[in-house]
Order: sequence, then C-alpha cells, then structure tokens
Amino acid sequence: MTEEDKTANPVRGEVLIVAEQILGELQHITLELLGAGTYLAGKLGSKLSCIVLGHSLGDIPQKLVACGADTVYVADHPELNTYRTLPYRRVVCNLLDSMDTPAHICLLGSTTTGRDLAPRIAAHFETGLTADCTELDIGSYEHKSKLDPTKVGLYEGCLYAIRPAFGESLKARILGPWKNPQMATTRPGQMTPLKPDPNRPGRIISIPVNIMTEDNRLIIAETLREIGKGVKLQEADVIVSGGYGLGSKDAFQLMYNLAACFANSAVGATRKVVDQSWIPYEHQIGQTGKTVRPKVYIACGISGAIQHRVGMANSGLIIAINKDVDAAIFKFAHHGIVGDVFQVVPEMIRQLEAVKQEKEVQTVVSAH
Amino acid sequence: MPAPYEIFVLVKQVPDQGSKAGLNPDGTIDRARAKRMLNPFDRYALQAALNVKKTYGGRVTAISMGPPPAVEVLLETLEHGVDRGVLLSDKRLAASDTLATAYALYKTIIWAGHYDVIFCGLQTTDGDTAQVGPQLAERLGLPQITYCQDFRIAADQVYADRIIEGGYQKIISQMPLLITVANSYHRLEYKSFHGSWKVQQLLRNTEEQNKYIQSVDLDVIGADEQRCGLKGSPTIVAATEKVGEIGGNCSMHEGHSAEELVGEVVQSTNLQEFLAI
Ligand SMILES: Cc1cc2nc3c(=O)[nH]c(=O)nc-3n(C[C@H](O)[C@H](O)[C@H](O)COP(=O)(O)OP(=O)(O)OC[C@H]3O[C@@H](n4cnc5c(N)ncnc54)[C@H](O)[C@@H]3O)c2cc1C
Ligand SMILES: Cc1cc2nc3c(=O)[nH]c(=O)nc-3n(C[C@H](O)[C@H](O)[C@H](O)COP(=O)(O)OP(=O)(O)OC[C@H]3O[C@@H](n4cnc5c(N)ncnc54)[C@H](O)[C@@H]3O)c2cc1C
Repeated sequence: MTEEDKTANPVRGEVLIVAEQILGELQHITLELLGAGTYLAGKLGSKLSCIVLGHSLGDIPQKLVACGADTVYVADHPELNTYRTLPYRRVVCNLLDSMDTPAHICLLGSTTTGRDLAPRIAAHFETGLTADCTELDIGSYEHKSKLDPTKVGLYEGCLYAIRPAFGESLKARILGPWKNPQMATTRPGQMTPLKPDPNRPGRIISIPVNIMTEDNRLIIAETLREIGKGVKLQEADVIVSGGYGLGSKDAFQLMYNLAACFANSAVGATRKVVDQSWIPYEHQIGQTGKTVRPKVYIACGISGAIQHRVGMANSGLIIAINKDVDAAIFKFAHHGIVGDVFQVVPEMIRQLEAVKQEKEVQTVVSAH
Repeated sequence: MPAPYEIFVLVKQVPDQGSKAGLNPDGTIDRARAKRMLNPFDRYALQAALNVKKTYGGRVTAISMGPPPAVEVLLETLEHGVDRGVLLSDKRLAASDTLATAYALYKTIIWAGHYDVIFCGLQTTDGDTAQVGPQLAERLGLPQITYCQDFRIAADQVYADRIIEGGYQKIISQMPLLITVANSYHRLEYKSFHGSWKVQQLLRNTEEQNKYIQSVDLDVIGADEQRCGLKGSPTIVAATEKVGEIGGNCSMHEGHSAEELVGEVVQSTNLQEFLAI
C-alpha cells in the first residue's frame, strides 16, 4: 500500500467486499454488497474496496468502481476462471494478510459461493462470521459481562450484523468487535445497489496469485448453467408455478393451460422439479433460480421451502394450492386452497374461462 | 478392490421446533423444555455415509457435540447402521459460536482417528448458519464440497454434483475431503431391524453401550479451553427482537368441493383483472 493511502485512512481498515462472478457474469449480490458497503464505509469514515477473482474479466473491475468501490483488487489467472474453494481462499487470505491496516469488515453474499468461502476465511483468521444477514449497520457496543474478562469494554465502529433466527420469528443482532475483519454474509435481495456512475473515481490494482499444488486437490470438471433469457418470468403479471406435487412432467401442461388464461403470464417451477428434468432451469424460482415479484403468484403443489420462498415472497397476491393443510406455503400465502391440484386447477381454468366469456360478451354488447 | 473407507458423519441434536412447548415468551428456545431431535438436515449426511459403507465398504463413525442427552441422536444413528459413536460433552463448551464449535469438533475428529471422508449436514434448524462444515474443513486443511447433491467414488476420487445458482458444478476431488450434503440427496432409509435390536440391548447395559459410544471431554481430546465455548467465540448475540409470526394472514379455503373453493378465491381476489381478453 502507498503512503498516500495510509494518510487518507490512518485509523480504520477498509471495508472489503468479495465479488462474485459465474462464467464471467458479475452477480447481482455483489452490487448489493457494494451498496451496503458504501453505507458502512461512510459511517466508519473508511474506504470501500472489492476483490474480484477470475480470468479475462473484461469490464467487471470498471463496473465495480461505478457501483461504489474505491479500490478494486483484481486477481486474474486461468486457474481462477471458475470458483473453487481452495484457490479462491488462498488469494483472498493473502490479500487480507498483506494489508498494512487490517481490513475492518469483510462481506460476502449468502450464495452457494459466499457460504462456501466465507467460513474458510473466517476460520483462517479466527474471526467472527454472521450468516445470512438481512441488515447491516455500524454502532458502538459495551460488553459488560465478566464471564470472559478479556472481552469487557466499550467498542466503537462495530459491525451490527442482523439476521433472522428460529424460523424467521426473531431477529438477532450479532457482533464480534474483538477481532478484525468483522465478517458477515448477506442474503440476496436484501441490500440496495447504488445507481452505477461511470464517472466515479477509483483505483484498479492487479494483485499476485500464488496457487499451490495442494489447492488443486479438487477440480471442476464442468459448470452447467442454464439460466435462459427466454422465459420472461420477471416481466409477467401472473406466474403459475408448479412443484413436485404435480407428480410428473406431463402435468406441467396444466400449468401452461392455467397461465394461458391470463394476458401477461409465465410458468415457474421449484428446484425439485427442475432437478427431475420436468421443466428447464430457466423456469426455476428461488435462491438458486430467479427472484420474481409478479402481481399474482399461483403456487401449485409447492411445499414452500425457504429457498423457494426467498424468490417469490414479495409477490403481490400469493395463491397456494396444496393438499396438505400444514404445508409451509400456507404460512405466507394470502389465499390457500387445500385440495388436489388435479381437481382445483382444471376448476380454476373453467371458472376463469367463464368470467372471460362473460366479459367478452359485455365488451361486445357495450361496443354496439 | 479399494480399501474399506473410514467414514465420519457429524450429527447435532436440535430442539424440535414443531413443538411449541419449548419456546420462551420472547420466542427463544427453552432448551430444557424443548423436545429434542436429530437435526433433519443431518439425516441426508447420515444416508450419504451409510451409502458409502454399503457400496464401497468401510466403517461409519457418528460424532456429536452437545450436552449429555445428545447421546440419543448417536443411538439413533446406530439404529440406522452406524458402527460407532463419539460424544463430546463438556460444560466449558457452553455458548460456542461456529468457530469454537468447529475447533472442538476438529479436536474430536483428530482424536477419533483416521478418516477418508467426513459428511456434514447442509445446516442446522437452530443455528442455521451452514458454517461449521467449511470451518472444520479449514481446520483440517481439507478440500470441501458443499451443497453436494449426489456423488460416487471411483479409484479413491469423489465425483460430485454441487448445487450452484442456476445449475450445477461437476466436481472431482481427492480424498480425504469434507462434504456437506444437500437436502435433495436420497432420503434416510428406515432403521435396520438389526440396528434397532442392537440399540435395545445397549439401552439395558451401560457397559455394552460404552463399547459403541465413546464419551469424551475437552481433556480427553486435548483441546485448548481458551479456544472453546464463550472464550473461544469471537461473536456474541447482542440483542434479539421478536418479529412476530410471519404471514399468519392466509385465508384458508378448505372442506368444500373444488368448485366452491375456487369460486371463493376467484370472487374475493383481483385475479379477474389479469385475464387475457
Ligand atoms: C442450496 C439449495 C438451493 C436451493 N434453491 C432452490 C431454489 O432456487 N428454488 C426452489 O424452489 N428450491 C430450491 N431448493 C430446494 C428446496 O429446498 C426444496 O427442496 C424445493 O423447493 C421443494 O420443491 P417442491 O415444493 O416442488 O417439492 P416438495 O417439497 O416435495 O413439495 C411438494 C408439495 O406438493 C404437495 N402435493 C403433493 N401432491 C399434491 C396434489 N396432488 N395436489 C396438491 N398438492 C400436492 C405436497 O403436500 C407438498 O407440500 C434449494 C435447495 C438447496 C439445498
Ligand atoms: C439465533 C442464533 C444465531 C446464531 N448465529 C450465529 C452466527 O451468525 N455466527 C456464528 O458463528 N454463530 C452463530 N450462532 C451460534 C451457532 O448456532 C452455534 O455455534 C452452533 O453450535 C453451530 O452452528 P449451527 O447450528 O449454525 O451449525 P451449522 O453450521 O448450520 O451446521 C452444519 C453441520 O455441521 C455439523 N454440526 C454443527 N454443529 C454440530 C455439533 N454440535 N455436533 C456435531 N455436528 C455439528 C452438522 O453436520 C450440521 O449439519 C447462532 C446461534 C443462535 C441461537
């Protein structure tokens, strides 16, 4: 680090974001983390930095600056092309080790990558890590309990990591002011990105990559990714989604038939049915699929697992059809129909068709 | 023929959240009153461990850290065909966060001996962090496959499918390694008749039980108590706030014919506004 940086930020270390890209595509979670990081760094009076790992990253570093990073550390190496725990862990830990003033905070996403990598970094530095946060803030904290006398004291500039607990019925504020970097992962969709500003100033620094032989004990043979752009889930007013309760691939026709009743609609699905190859990936909604916010979401034979819920819980009106009255989906749906999809859905199509015909007749009549 | 494998599986006893009985007024769990159960996610890890034994041969060791009643989950794993249990129990472990938990489990694993593969659940239903597995792998210096949906072993290499956003990774890893098993892996099979019978015998005979389940504390495994429990935990839960039951506002339609149920919904919502006309 140069002399200039030290004077710019004499007391507190930076806030470091670990960026995420899959096959060269920058992930939205990184923009969210930069938004949150800008706020935290502002409150601390420190700098926001971001490390991105990969190969032939194109304009990703510039995008990271435009979205809030003061410094972007670029680790470019063919071996970093796809995420792998050990090489990525090595590079990020080396960077953190090389900082003159240790980073104050280090954030990752609660994605399959962030949840794989963050605990390794935290364990390496023996520092605290809060999982799956929905809010982050900075504040002071006084530790009074004398059970562990070494911890007693007043701490300023602590990371407040707030996460849902016990099936989302509680919010817990978790702190770890004793050791830097204070670490957290954040749940996708919770933090707000900044508006990109191509004129924001920022530095882009290339950092060394020293991968060891032992980091290659595990290799990625192939990354299969099929998020297509074909299915317009995000733009649809009405999404009809099918789950494992449909029982077979053929039954998805019923979903298409119901969707056809609406003007601007699309068919969605759970990961479980995508895994069964009943419907392609691009229809998947949830943590590892798409996040949607239609005006109406009709869930058919879907149990309502948290990984599905995070992708659709903000829909305007949620109608769930499930034969199990205790299904989790009824905890957050607005209307729950307890019944068999094969009776309820055809009946719904019939009634909607009837309403349509009635309306058409009215339109024709009023046109006269 | 490959050498039989030493297979470790980590299982945690958690409060049964289905039973409202064990909740404090502020919504936290009253661990003394709550019904206890095997962490549901660990059932997939257990099945993975048993599958390795069944397909490739070997011995399965289940390891748990928790207060003495946690022996119940180890007995449960024996019923499913696990060969040996190790229970780490010590008052000095109270209030461990994930870092301290991973340290204590790391020392237990080293104590328990040679391993080729370690299986963990994806996460727990109480702490719900999914951090212990990777932190343990870091301590042990192992490669890891998290979110593992399926795998096979050939020539001492593990071929696995790992869930990622929008798809999969096909992974090849050397052994030893640590795997966290996704809940889309095969369901846990029924208890074996032989296993249940054996556990019935063990429940009647403490001496016999001690042959199958080894109980250890921090001194036995040689753990540094400064790195355990409250002292070894860099995080603290500073405050909790009740959010209230999510939802709970669902209008339920049940008990009538499909025609009536659908009629209620079509009439009482704005569904009609979106029809294709
Ligand atoms: C890392 C990770 C990421 C994941 N990402 C996602 C994701 O992005 N999206 C996602 O959806 N899931 C995801 N999952 C999977 C998730 O945990 C659940 O397994 C999945 O959502 C369940 O799908 P389902 O509701 O279709 O199936 P099930 O849970 O099997 O539910 C089927 C439901 O259908 C009901 N049913 C059965 N028959 C009928 C009938 N005739 N009529 C009416 N109802 C019936 C049953 O009562 C049941 O509630 C992920 C899991 C992991 C581990
Ligand atoms: C509301 C709440 C929030 C918390 N948040 C955090 C947090 O953000 N960060 C943090 O560091 N700690 C946190 N903790 C503490 C954490 O729950 C405990 O450290 C716990 O002992 C281990 O974490 P876990 O239950 O999340 O396990 P996970 O990491 O979710 O467990 C994954 C797997 O590891 C294995 N495993 C975990 N624990 C054991 C065990 N005792 N014995 C055997 N195998 C085991 C199992 O195979 C399990 O499936 C929190 C606790 C509470 C009550």
